[in-house]
Amino acid sequence: MARGVLKLPEDLPVSVPRFVGKEVTRLEDPGLVTGTAEFIDNLSLAGMLHCAILRSPHPHARILRIDTSAAEAMDGVAAVLTGEDLRRWCNPAVTAPEGWGSYSMAVDKVRFVGEPVAAVAACNRYLAEDALEQIRVEYEPLPCVPDAHAATTPGASLVFEEKGSNVIQSRVYDWGEVDRMFAEADHVVSNTFRWNRVGANPTETFGCICQWDLTGNALTCHGSYQVPRFMALGRSATLRLPANRIRIIAQPMGGGFGGKGGPRGTDIAALLSRKAEGRPVKYIEDRIEYLLAGGGQSWDRHYEAALAVRADGTITGLKVKLLDDQGAGAEGYGTISAAKPLAAFTGCYRIEAARYDLTLVATNRAPTYPFRGYGPPPHYFVLESLVDMAARKLGMDPAELRRRNYIRPEQFPYVVPSGNEYDSGQYEVVLDKALALADYAKLRAEQARARAAGRLIGIGVVSTVEPGVFDWNCYATVGVPGVGVPEGVKVAVDILGNVTVAVGFNLQGQGQFTVAAQVAADYLGVDMHAVRVATAASDVALPHFGQGGSRLGVSVTGAVLGACRKLEVLFCRVVAHLMQTTPEQVELMDGRLRLKANPAVGMTLAEVAGTMLARSDLLPPDVEPCPEANYVWTAPGRTAPDEQGRCKSYLTAANATHLVMVEVDRETGQTSILGYWIVDDCGTRLNPATVDGQIEGGVAQGVGAALFEEYVYGESAQPLVTTFVDYLIPTIGEVPSSRKAVVVTPSPVSPLGAKGTGEGAIHTTPAAIMCAINDALSPLGIEVRETPASPRRLWQLLQQVA
Amino acid sequence: MKPAPFAYHAPETLPEAITLLQRFESDGVDAKILAGGQSLMPMLAMRVARPEVLVDLRRLRSLDYIRAEGGTLTIGAMTPKRAAEQSALVRETQPLFHAATELVGHVGVRNRGTVGGSFAHADPASEYPAVALVLDMELKAVGPAGERTIPAADFFVTYMTTSLEATEVLTEVRLPAWTRGTGWAIQEMARRQGDLALAGVAATLRLVRGACTGVRLAAFGVNATAVRLRAAEELLEGQRPEAANFARAAAAGAGNLEEPMSCVHASSEYRRQLVEVLAKRCLAEAASRAV
Ligand SMILES: Cc1cc2nc3c(=O)[nH]c(=O)nc-3n(C[C@H](O)[C@H](O)[C@H](O)COP(=O)(O)OP(=O)(O)OC[C@H]3O[C@@H](n4cnc5c(N)ncnc54)[C@H](O)[C@@H]3O)c2cc1C
Repeated sequence: MARGVLKLPEDLPVSVPRFVGKEVTRLEDPGLVTGTAEFIDNLSLAGMLHCAILRSPHPHARILRIDTSAAEAMDGVAAVLTGEDLRRWCNPAVTAPEGWGSYSMAVDKVRFVGEPVAAVAACNRYLAEDALEQIRVEYEPLPCVPDAHAATTPGASLVFEEKGSNVIQSRVYDWGEVDRMFAEADHVVSNTFRWNRVGANPTETFGCICQWDLTGNALTCHGSYQVPRFMALGRSATLRLPANRIRIIAQPMGGGFGGKGGPRGTDIAALLSRKAEGRPVKYIEDRIEYLLAGGGQSWDRHYEAALAVRADGTITGLKVKLLDDQGAGAEGYGTISAAKPLAAFTGCYRIEAARYDLTLVATNRAPTYPFRGYGPPPHYFVLESLVDMAARKLGMDPAELRRRNYIRPEQFPYVVPSGNEYDSGQYEVVLDKALALADYAKLRAEQARARAAGRLIGIGVVSTVEPGVFDWNCYATVGVPGVGVPEGVKVAVDILGNVTVAVGFNLQGQGQFTVAAQVAADYLGVDMHAVRVATAASDVALPHFGQGGSRLGVSVTGAVLGACRKLEVLFCRVVAHLMQTTPEQVELMDGRLRLKANPAVGMTLAEVAGTMLARSDLLPPDVEPCPEANYVWTAPGRTAPDEQGRCKSYLTAANATHLVMVEVDRETGQTSILGYWIVDDCGTRLNPATVDGQIEGGVAQGVGAALFEEYVYGESAQPLVTTFVDYLIPTIGEVPSSRKAVVVTPSPVSPLGAKGTGEGAIHTTPAAIMCAINDALSPLGIEVRETPASPRRLWQLLQQVA
Repeated sequence: MKPAPFAYHAPETLPEAITLLQRFESDGVDAKILAGGQSLMPMLAMRVARPEVLVDLRRLRSLDYIRAEGGTLTIGAMTPKRAAEQSALVRETQPLFHAATELVGHVGVRNRGTVGGSFAHADPASEYPAVALVLDMELKAVGPAGERTIPAADFFVTYMTTSLEATEVLTEVRLPAWTRGTGWAIQEMARRQGDLALAGVAATLRLVRGACTGVRLAAFGVNATAVRLRAAEELLEGQRPEAANFARAAAAGAGNLEEPMSCVHASSEYRRQLVEVLAKRCLAEAASRAV
């Protein structure tokens, strides 16, 4: 008979797992690295047109007139789209809170530089861009709201007039006796912090091919879609089509990181197809469009924060006040991003009470979108900086102060004041391993020598918790309806014993196809190459969500295990029937269904599947000839939020300590990373190589946020960074090669004990680097509290003490 | 990001190329030379440059060579930068130019980008023009009226503008060979490896009886063209190679700069500071190589 929940890889029905927990070669890589995977720009459909989009040069302006006649008259131009078409056919984007969404193309006025104003579908992209030059738009510039502070100034211009204010949301969460903690504290450290806009920059920008079926009134969209099911629901709302008439086909993607965006591009290409008699229309967002107004801008945040500390170093309270510049509206789920820190508000620490005072405002900057981590990277920058400031104030070593405040292993499951429950962890073991790996005492001695010689050397030791496997229950607190986040798969065995796992998501780079195949192969006892993982289109796939919130590795594992378990039950029944015994006498082991009493007697998967498909006469009467099983996994034990937003939201809590040593050049302000050490604990490592890749990538993006990347806006909300010449993603020359070690505390609540681990490094790296820089600067009595700590910024600071 | 329409020619010979350029010039057609395309192609794609015609020099194999003759290193304009970087002859004959080449962009950019293209493009943040001023390089151009040789000091006019005529092709760059004992250095501050510099400095000097002499110093990335730091050169001439002297010279050089340019990564004031720091460090490095 079938087994219960598999807590560890050892529980799989094989003598020894051959794939789970091993650094197996990833199935998806040959197609990805050779470029032969069907990326959206590799795909062409017959009769396809190409779209180019005219974008607003103004941050805020009324549209007086658009003349498209010259463009329409050009040979090769099939359709031209303007806001008038959207007003006629569409709704504005659905947002939470309600009413902060624009149409996918400007109607009446533009709200940011780069907002689509008109679009052309032509025989090729060159011609489409030529046609854009023929479109005349008359604007009447309006006073603009350049930043978050301006948004709340009395008399400020309104981004959404009908709202009567630029404040999208404002509320205070109170958890525990915050005021008492601060009143009774021996020390209070408080400060302001600024996290400038950064964001996702996948290798491939957004792209799609949309085709409107004019007779069936249905829409098919191929594209680089991160979350197909949500894309279908969103399009249904804006394009006024029933969701089951929208078919979203996710192509393999050249990365995502949350920034793929796509709603506007999809709507525009779809409407152009509608206007061009249903011919397919391809839209490939170019890098300038992406940087200007794609999904790549996130986290434009101003903080005021404070920590209450006792003389012995016990941290008792945390207050964070956040003013968040969402840009021109809430179309990018920005409220969720601000609420995500609720899942781990107090980090690794036993902080009793906390307050989160949240104000989200609209400005005339580009709308912000999700980015890997979805909120905690800036939050941890603030929290960990405060902890370092407290350590300096107390004259304590920052590692020791952290140790003193960690949640202890015996306290798990541990509920943080903001409501989420951490499943397990050994934070001190992770810290000690990191200190040993880096030889911390030696680094401090080196630092002392360097300081004596006048060099600015600093060390950062930062620990964080990574909430893994998100559920949308916690976001209900910021107005997003509580929507479940299921993950469904179908596992099918064919007549030759091959196994197909059908999933609802496509490749994005993280390697979940491989994880699905590892789990299926070890459960069913077949070779990994006998397993094929395939993507089903959104309209026929089982309920699913896909990548996001450090969830998919764990979720797809749970789904595959669930489906395999159902198959196991089914196969045991069939075999028992064939062998004239009861299902309890049959078991699955190493790919065979065998008699428990006489293991030499049994059948292979292929034999069972073949019998089921070909010999209905041999089947038990109530068994269908279908050697397949569906399973939709969802995290167990999730709870609805209370009035203070408290709920069990994320299933797992991974943990890491990053240790970094930097040197700041006193004369140029340039920071060099001298060494980087990481110890992390994400429970069972389903594929250690994949975990390693996730960490490396997260570190790279963290280095970017801490030192290089920044979407700069001018005083009148003009974007000043619109190409990769100025948006500085660190290269292999800037990203340190880190030394790593591992602690494994399997999750007691997740399938096979794995924890979500896609975001931990980007949560930790920016804080670690900023703390190290401030450690370096501390002898001078200055500190940097704004990211990125670019040379220009540090030099200005150093000027104060020159 | 697709170029506006243009006509395309890829002549087989240099005279053919010049004839084409001359014809377009007299017909009032805006023609542009295309070499490695590393600067021109992005400008076309962004429609910042919109020539009606491109004359591609890629078939002119005769402009792809590296030779040393009579104390001069000559490099054909169409030589890929990567070839110069990998050439032992370049490294031995003119190590400063070689070091500058290694700082240009990334391997991919150096594979496609030509040596001549960088001079003709005259990007103020490029390493080559500064090296050209320090070394007194010469640029050879061929046009309808024949060949002429232009000293580096007369070649760079202003931001992305040279003294080349629209009908002229830059065919060769000429460098004096390095003389044993001459110290050299090039340093820059770029945000990332391979980025164009926010500021940079190139230097050469010799030591005669314990004093600095023949000091040449030029900065790039700060003004519309690379500039000699004459105040620094003069101050250091005849002085001992000591940190305090380098610092004094560097401060004078940076202090006398015309108002440096400013961008999101570096203010004018910060660029001036960078020139001072880099000049000081460059002088020390050059002196350490001089005998
Ligand atoms: C990512 C990146 C990083 C870079 N980093 C640097 C750097 O650090 N330092 C640096 O110096 N440069 C850098 N560059 C610029 C690069 O070096 C270019 O290759 C160079 O500026 C132009 O050479 P090209 O052969 O590609 O010329 P093209 O782009 O083809 O042409 C450039 C210009 O020169 C003209 N031209 C070219 N050849 C001739 C000729 N023989 N006669 C007359 N006119 C001619 C063209 O008409 C055009 O106006 C970088 C470029 C990139 C893409």
